[in-house]
Amino acid sequence: MKDGKLKIVPVFEDIMPQEYIDLVNNGLFGEDYGVEDLGSFKELLEEHPLCAGCGLALAKRLIAASFPNPEDTIVVGTTGCSSLSFTQMALHNIHSIFGNQNAVASGLKRALKIRFPEKTKDVVVIGGDGGLGDIGLGMVMHSWFRGENFATIMLDNEAYANTGGQESGMSTLGKVLNMAPTGKKFPKLSLPQIAYESGCVYTALVNPADAKKLGKIVKNAILMARELGPTYVQIYCPCPTNFKFKPEETLDKLKERRKTDYKTQEFISPEAKQFIERLEGEK
Amino acid sequence: MYFVVKVDKEKCTGCKICIYACPEPNVITFLKDDKKVKINGMKCKGCGLCVSACPFKALELK
Repeated sequence: MKDGKLKIVPVFEDIMPQEYIDLVNNGLFGEDYGVEDLGSFKELLEEHPLCAGCGLALAKRLIAASFPNPEDTIVVGTTGCSSLSFTQMALHNIHSIFGNQNAVASGLKRALKIRFPEKTKDVVVIGGDGGLGDIGLGMVMHSWFRGENFATIMLDNEAYANTGGQESGMSTLGKVLNMAPTGKKFPKLSLPQIAYESGCVYTALVNPADAKKLGKIVKNAILMARELGPTYVQIYCPCPTNFKFKPEETLDKLKERRKTDYKTQEFISPEAKQFIERLEGEK
Repeated sequence: MYFVVKVDKEKCTGCKICIYACPEPNVITFLKDDKKVKINGMKCKGCGLCVSACPFKALELK
């Protein structure tokens, strides 16, 4: 690590866990790493309790590698499968009441602006489709209407996977699940369009099969949220446990959906376009 | 029976596609000197995603 923000007190060097020593010596903090460098540094996420082959874990791992400023990032999460691995992430995090994540993040971002006016502190909301799309939709949409400066990332597994497989607003039409035996009666919410109309400057629909693109989009969304306004990223995360497929088929499911309705696409407003052009110009 | 992934060093080309497909952090690491991947078997859950992602069939669940 370059700037030495994270270091071990000399007396405790011999009793620190190996993971922590790796994080200090070969970590992400203070370096300019991205998704394309995965495998050559110690990741922020560690051994998590999510299922084998979980799409959420894959998405979260890629997101954690693409934070532009991880040492000053605070993650706000909410109940669900998406929250199960927050404690294994080497980042500050807040676990809010179900559906309250964007209200909590709004307050947090404003407070950080007053407390640390000279620093850039990023607030990122990472939630599931239940917390963001169904139960917390009021809070989510109002944070967009108010133009709050933080990014919202949805890990969309299309069900309430943590409680046994109830249908959510994001499930596809006619999907039969463990606790939705008659199939879903109405189509999937098109939240990216809603977000774009509600005032998000940058909205993206992402398929984690395009790993490098995911990293770029998450990085853009967080950088843009600092200056322009709210941003929204929706990532498809197939669930092998509730959708009854083998863990090794997760990638096939991703590629299958990429051909139909879940291909990576961005909805860019004119000011966001200018911002991206400026970023590319700086490089 | 506990399955973890094993890498065939001769077939591995170091394209890193398996690293982008693995849901477990810090399992597959990239060795810079010989441009191949290394598996940490203690952290592997044996889901087999990297095996299905590998275009050169260099990975196997054992």
